[in-house]
Amino acid sequence: MASAARDWRQHGHIAFQAGDAVALEADYVVVGSGPGGSGAALILARAGFDVCVVEAGPWRDPADYPSSMLGAMRDMMPDWGATVAVGDSIMPIVQAAVVGGGTVINSAIMVRTPADVLVDWRERHGLGDLFDERAMGDQHDAVDRELAVQRTPEGTAFGANNAMLIEALQRRQLDGNAILRNVQGCQGSGACLQGCRSGAKQSTNLAWLPEVIDRGGTVISCARVDRVIIERGAALGIRGRFRHPRSRALGATVDVRARRGVVIAASAVQTPLILQRSGLRLPALGRHWRVHPGAAIVGVYDQPVDMMRGATQGAASVHFRGGIGLRDGKTYAETGENGIKIESLSLPLELLAGRAAGAGHALIERLADARHQAVWISAVRAEAEGTCRLGLFGQPNVRYKPTQRDLRALRAGSHLLAALHFESGARVVRPGVFGLPAEITPDQLHLLADGPLDNRSWTWVLSHLFGGAVMGKDPQRSVVAPDLHVRGVRRLHVACAAALPTSLGVNPQHTILAVARILAERLANGA
Amino acid sequence: MRRLVEHALRAVFPSSAGIPGLDRLDFGARLDEVRRGPPMLRLGLYAATVLFVLLPVWTVFTPLPSFWLSPARLELHANRLAGSRIYLLRQIMLLLKTVGGLLWGADPEVRQALGLSPLGPDPGTFRGDQSRAPAGASAGAS
Repeated sequence: MASAARDWRQHGHIAFQAGDAVALEADYVVVGSGPGGSGAALILARAGFDVCVVEAGPWRDPADYPSSMLGAMRDMMPDWGATVAVGDSIMPIVQAAVVGGGTVINSAIMVRTPADVLVDWRERHGLGDLFDERAMGDQHDAVDRELAVQRTPEGTAFGANNAMLIEALQRRQLDGNAILRNVQGCQGSGACLQGCRSGAKQSTNLAWLPEVIDRGGTVISCARVDRVIIERGAALGIRGRFRHPRSRALGATVDVRARRGVVIAASAVQTPLILQRSGLRLPALGRHWRVHPGAAIVGVYDQPVDMMRGATQGAASVHFRGGIGLRDGKTYAETGENGIKIESLSLPLELLAGRAAGAGHALIERLADARHQAVWISAVRAEAEGTCRLGLFGQPNVRYKPTQRDLRALRAGSHLLAALHFESGARVVRPGVFGLPAEITPDQLHLLADGPLDNRSWTWVLSHLFGGAVMGKDPQRSVVAPDLHVRGVRRLHVACAAALPTSLGVNPQHTILAVARILAERLANGA
Repeated sequence: MRRLVEHALRAVFPSSAGIPGLDRLDFGARLDEVRRGPPMLRLGLYAATVLFVLLPVWTVFTPLPSFWLSPARLELHANRLAGSRIYLLRQIMLLLKTVGGLLWGADPEVRQALGLSPLGPDPGTFRGDQSRAPAGASAGAS
């Protein structure tokens, strides 16, 4: 390790450096500042440890946040959101590259880990009582208090798109609720995806990392970690390099020596890659990569919906989380692990354009009624597993292909959403499925029920990523052992979605936070 | 190449029914920003543009580059690409629509025409950024 020519620790936060190499020491190095990294860093800092968080993206405050989606992709996402998974189709992956990670650009949705998932982790993946309902519940409670988790009150800030979905679900007596969100004083600006310039969203760059610094920790931003330094079977620190957020110019090197351990929390895409670049050759590394692929159904109404006003995502249903079937035009709930989650999603105009069918005048005509559109999505608790490996030029090479069962779940969910739109008064529905008309009317709903079971016909978006470095007792299937060490490497841990052994069927933020905090508590207690 | 990209995006987002399209809007500065973006995005945009320009022979059976098509043929060409049975051609159009949508949908004239509020700024600043106003930043640290 290079010696520190300068006392970097006086700063608390170190941004891009073009000149001197940055070298420092900490008890724990945490790679990544999303929910997992921030959660782990906070608990370790509170326990009195000297923590250094290293984040690839820059630290932006609400005044720095963009207003447009172009700005959001430029400023908040890796490679401007151009990361994709490839199978027999190309699917964009939504991720963040900014201090606070996904907590900055997500819709602030907080869903507790479902009990069946915890049972599965205990019984099928051998994680014992580490993440039992009590332990996770305690963390969920604490997070709820600290991040002001609450339901967005009905009214202007809630938004008609959200209210309409809840009404539609209740009309059918399906479970449907206003979403619990870590937002305080939501103004309904419909800009969660851009980071919430009003500062209402309690992302970890606002809520937790300042406390880490106050407790003597350091945050290094704009620094991509190349690898973990591993010697004689133990993680000794990390090595990385600054990259300027605007010019993408490479800057100084970053070396952080870890006196006690290294925690990787860089997401289900980046964590496996960092471990691969660090020389790990575990059979399960980069495998068991899972996701909630989703697709949107657009309803067009006679009256304005104005979905750009209100919470970006305010309503949801887990009624079909176990499974969804479709027979004779009727959807029904099934038990199992291949269901869907239904959510409202207020798409900005800029993104609606990519979603609408056609081109030229036909496209503009389908965007002219943007104020009259309501967008609801079904996200599939997919059974498909993919891989995430280093590409030829160091980029993520993500291979993923939803299965036929996943497609059937998506089709059934989309059919349900279209039916709900019509029952809510939609004039037409725009399914966005190749092979179907650009617009369907109620008497054409059967077309969607019989829609194509071909990935290339659907406009998938991949969010809620899991796996790539999963926990478990089986050395062939897991990267992280039940003692929460990366197999074969002392003092190396994973605290992000990469470690989750299964998909959840719900939004993962709360689970990631709880798992990371439990890991950090165990480290703080000397485990 | 910049002109070809502009041509393709204008064809995908033309003015229509009183709503300004990219053919009437000045989006050069934002397009330049995209062109300065990550190499993969730039390469994808260029590849999509080249195919858009060259494929009228396939879509409308006219052996001319798309910029020499009449407006009606250009519209037909764009729509046939968008609805092509070949997945990769549809993806090309998806990329053009996505990039064009980011430029078109953020434009204040478009938003006014659709009855939407104008968007605020995209400062692009960050902690430690020399161009950022607040105090507390020194030597890139804050």
